[in-house]
This record gives sequence, structure tokens and C-alpha cells, in this order.
Amino acid sequence: MAKKPTLDLTKYVRFYEQMVYIREFEELIGKEWNNAAAHGMGGYMHLYSGEEAIAVGLIGGMDLSAGDCFIGHYRDHGYALAAGSDPGEVMAEICGKATGCSKGKGGSMHICDAARGFYGGYGIVGGNVPIALGLGWALKYRNQKNVCACFFGDGSMNQGAFHETLNMAQLYKVPVIFALENNGYAMGTSIERSHANQDLRSRVDSFAMRSVTINGQDIFEVHEQMAQIIQEMKEDPHPVFVEFKTYRYHGHGAADTPVTQSTYRTRDEVARAKEEKDPIKFAQTKLIELGVLTDEMITDIQARAYASAEAAMKFSDDSPYPDPSELIKDVYA
Amino acid sequence: MARLRYADAITSALREEMLADDRVFIAGEEVGQYLGTLGVTSGFLKEFGPMRVVDTPISEVGILGLGIGSAMAGLRPVCEMMRMDFAMVAYDQVINHAAKIRYMFGGQFKVPMVIRGPSGVGRQLSAQHSQSLEVLFAHVPGLKVVMPATPADMKGLLKTAMRDDNPVIVMEALRLYFEKPDVLDAILPGLSEVPDDPDFTVPFGKANVLRASTDVTLIGYSAMTIQCLKAANIMAQEGISAEVVDLRTLLPLDMATPIASIKKTHRAVVVQEQWGLYGCAAEISAQIAERAFYDLDAPVQRVTGAFVPMPFARNLENISFPSEHDIVIAAKRTLGR
Repeated sequence: MAKKPTLDLTKYVRFYEQMVYIREFEELIGKEWNNAAAHGMGGYMHLYSGEEAIAVGLIGGMDLSAGDCFIGHYRDHGYALAAGSDPGEVMAEICGKATGCSKGKGGSMHICDAARGFYGGYGIVGGNVPIALGLGWALKYRNQKNVCACFFGDGSMNQGAFHETLNMAQLYKVPVIFALENNGYAMGTSIERSHANQDLRSRVDSFAMRSVTINGQDIFEVHEQMAQIIQEMKEDPHPVFVEFKTYRYHGHGAADTPVTQSTYRTRDEVARAKEEKDPIKFAQTKLIELGVLTDEMITDIQARAYASAEAAMKFSDDSPYPDPSELIKDVYA
Repeated sequence: MARLRYADAITSALREEMLADDRVFIAGEEVGQYLGTLGVTSGFLKEFGPMRVVDTPISEVGILGLGIGSAMAGLRPVCEMMRMDFAMVAYDQVINHAAKIRYMFGGQFKVPMVIRGPSGVGRQLSAQHSQSLEVLFAHVPGLKVVMPATPADMKGLLKTAMRDDNPVIVMEALRLYFEKPDVLDAILPGLSEVPDDPDFTVPFGKANVLRASTDVTLIGYSAMTIQCLKAANIMAQEGISAEVVDLRTLLPLDMATPIASIKKTHRAVVVQEQWGLYGCAAEISAQIAERAFYDLDAPVQRVTGAFVPMPFARNLENISFPSEHDIVIAAKRTLGR
């Protein structure tokens, strides 16, 4: 029997740090939403707090510089930060600035980073899933030893696009990780009210696709399992469906206020999730136990993460809005 | 110079581009083992193999997602819709995704894909298989819409589409697919001729004057251009000389060519196969009014399809879309005859 590999603890300290960076980034946006117009923010704002371990653990298991890639949905800030995108450019995009990763034309829902294999965040629920099939197909077409990850939520699984895609992905054996972030709610509609079969993972059994369920709040479980699966996918290209069980702390978007949230979940439920399921607290406790994280380090990481988010906001605030001439640019290649 | 049928021109374009560029692949329903629903990819699976000629399930959303994602990653997919009506199943992938990706990501990605397939009326396929839905695509920035009328344009425009870095919708006139070269050449000498040069292409956004003249300008595209040519032949026997302008592509749209023609003839008839309300002819008529109003000697006439779902019965189908006689009547109206 193979010896269980020992954890690379330095890596997990780095993951912990990345999660804190994403959390501080998102919480700063949440805080500054009160002053949204002054920063250039508007529209919706879908925050990732509570779900950080998925992006960090999965993207952290891919080799983006060697051709691995991923595609997301509109709750997409965390993906870019996990991939190492410049926080200033992400924040500037969120604020509609010329220096944003999408030149201020996409906004919060349409962050991307071609150089890091991030094929973008998409605003149509389930609409990004078929595109992942194509990204995976291109890898297979070129015989690349790479994988593509596709993030989507539980709401996407009730779109026809999802089912067409999974069938074809398995038929063609494309190396795509279908990463379900099951946070229990499609906007304000719970799993119970929207899925006839609430065992979401079992819904893909009909495609004869390999699948696994992972605790999305546990960075160790996310990363160890995904690293192993990615390695196997690179040796033998095939799709995998992964159900990450997770929880979102904020409303669906900025328009989902405490009042609207009260129609589908209690404050207690949110408070309990933050107390019992927080991915950052979980990692922190374990890393302290393992003796690689100290209170001093935590304070330092926290301070640097906050400073990074503030610096990103400053970069954005100091950046100009797009020139009017940008209106008609980039419609066509 | 070869004399080809429209369908043969499609085959020729696809095959030449696949030979020239190994990033090109075709995906669609029955494109491989079945040899193509209408035969245009016959033999391709054997010649190019299953990675480049991809038989798909009946999953238009999946087919277009396969195309968009692989195009973003640097391949050059050609997605076949068995009928362009079926693209409606996957309209979201075209409109909300393919057309938007370049702009909403600030130019970081390209989507060099072709979505092609037969379109329009003509074979008693009734309401769900006979529509000409180009307006639904030509309304949307980020797309290009190609509507070839002749075998040469079919080949040349499809090749240009396959070399373009944007999503291009190529709508092929089913009515013209199997029209014999002799029949085409009887309508206009040389109409079936296609250059042999593998580098022959036809640029987008350049309308073509197929028949030069002085009395009235007939503006059409796709199968309606052929109707315009037939109408011009009828009028010629009555001493009326009609110029026929084939738009070739709706997006980009070349208005300079039809406007130049109108400045000469002072009369215009715009012909389209589908429903007139909010249609292409309305757009073209509006642009003529904006740009050449004082050159007109008569109001612009539109000749369009009946505002009904396509009926099955042959006699009803035949009166549902513009005939050459409808065009003649409209042209004569501009001449006060």
C-alpha cells in the first residue's frame, strides 16, 4: 500500500493566507458598498465570503503556467485572486475603471485573466458550463496534459445546458472538473424547493461520470483530493464531477438585503455557519495544531491582507474611468 | 473555373480550410458517420478523423459551447446546425456568450467560430424547419451574419468566415442547395461559376452588383437575390432594365453599394424572405431614406414574406414568400406602371 503523503504545510500556510486575502478583499467591498457610487461600483455584487477554500484549494492544485485553465460564474472575484491576478486590476474592474482586467466593460461579474488561464466569470446561470466543454475539448484536441475547472452553483444544475454538457463531456472524455459549489441556495431558492432529487451528486450518475463529494469548507480535504484527481485526469483524460458543500455568508448579491434574505434563511443559520463552518477558522485551528501557524503570523497575515485590499481599492480609486472612445472598441476582434 | 451547386461550394470551402489549417474542426449532428444530413460533409470523417469531424448528440447548447470554448482556447470550430431553426435551442450561447465575450472581457479573448447551416423556406418543412431568422442574429453586436446567394459567394464567404476571428453566422439558403448549375446559368450566365484558386475568398461587407442597369434597383440577399434576378429577366422582356444588388453579408452591412446604385436608378425595391415587420428590409429602407432620400423618385418598396408561421401545404408555402412576380409588381410601382 502506498504511504500516505505528508502534507506540504508551507503550501497550506500560503493557502490560508490566500483565503484571508480573498476574505478581506470581499469584506472591504461589502463595507464600501455603502459608498458604492463614489468608488464606481454599481449593479450587482456577488461576494465569495465563506466559499474561499474551494477556489484556493482547487485552483491551487492546477498548474496555470503550464496550461491548466478554469472558467467561473458571476461570483468570481475569489477565482482571480486565487489564481494570482493583480488585486488592483480586479478591484478596478469591480469599480468600472479603465485599469480593470476587462477595461471596466465587464464589471464584477466578468472578471478574467487570460494570462493565468482564467476564461472569465459569466452572468447567465449555467451558461458557462457548455463553454468548459469546449475548453476541455481544446486540451484534448492538442493532446495537452492539462485540465480545465468549471465552477458553477447548485442553481446551474437545473439548467438544460448543464445536462447537455455533462453528457457530452463524458461521451468525449474531456479533462474537465465540473466543480459544483453547493451553497444551498440558488439566489433565494433553496435546494429543497428547486431540486426534485436533493442528493445533487447522484443527479450526475446518469451520465456515468466519475464523481466525488468534498467538504468545501476544509482546505485540506479540497486540495488533497483535487490534487490527486487532477493528477489522474492528466494521466488519463476524463471529466469529474465534484460536489463541494459550502455556504455563502452574504446575500446572493448586493440587492439581496437582510430583508430579502429573511424570506429564505434566518440570521441564526448564517451566524451558525460562520461559527461552525468557516474555512479560514478551520484552517487556522488546524495549522496552529500542526505548529506551522502562530498568533503573530495570523496578525501579520490579517494586516497584510487588509492592506492589500485597501491598496487595491486605492489603485482603483486613483484610476480613471474608461475613455468614451472605449464605448465602441472590442466589439470585434 | 468550376460550375458548382451551392451545396458543393459549401463542401469545397470546408474541405479546403480543413486541409489548410489543422485548428479547424466540424461539430454537429450527423456530420460524420451519417455523411451529413444534406451530404455536405460526406467523406469528411474518413478523411479527417473523429477529432476533426465530431458527431454530436442532439444538443445544440452543447455543440455551441464546444465551439465557443474551443475557439477561446485557439481552435477554429465550425458548428453545424442541422437547421438554423435549431440554433434557437441554443440562442443563449450565441447571443449572451459568443457575441459578448470579446467586449465584456475587454478584448482579452477571441471567439473565432462559425455557426452554419441551412436556413429558409422551400422544401415543405413547415413551421419549425423553414424560418429565415437572420434578423435575430444581425441585430446583435459582436456577431457577423453571412447570407450567400451564389455558389461562388457561398464558397468565398464561408472561407472568409472560417478565417475570421469572430463568431460568424453563415445562413445557407436551403432552396439553393441543390439547384443545378445549368438552372443557375440560365438565370444569369456564369452564376454557377466558382474560381478554382484555393485562396479565393469573398470579403465581408461588400455588396455585389450582379446585374448592372439603370431603371430600378432590386436589393436582395441569399435566395431572394436569385428571385431578384428572375424578376429582372421578366422585366427585361418588358423593356424595364433592373439593377440587382446582392448584399452578401447583413453584418457588416454595405450600404454604399446599394446607395450608389440608387443614385443612378432613383428607385429601390428591397426583398427579403422572412417577415417584414422589423425586418432587414425595414432597416435597409430606413438607411436609404436617411442617406438617399433626395435621390429617390418614388417611395422605397419592400417585398417580404407573409406574417405567418410557415404552412406545410405546397400551395400555401409557395405564396408565403416573395416570388419574382411580387418583385416585378413592386418594381413597376416605383416606375408608376
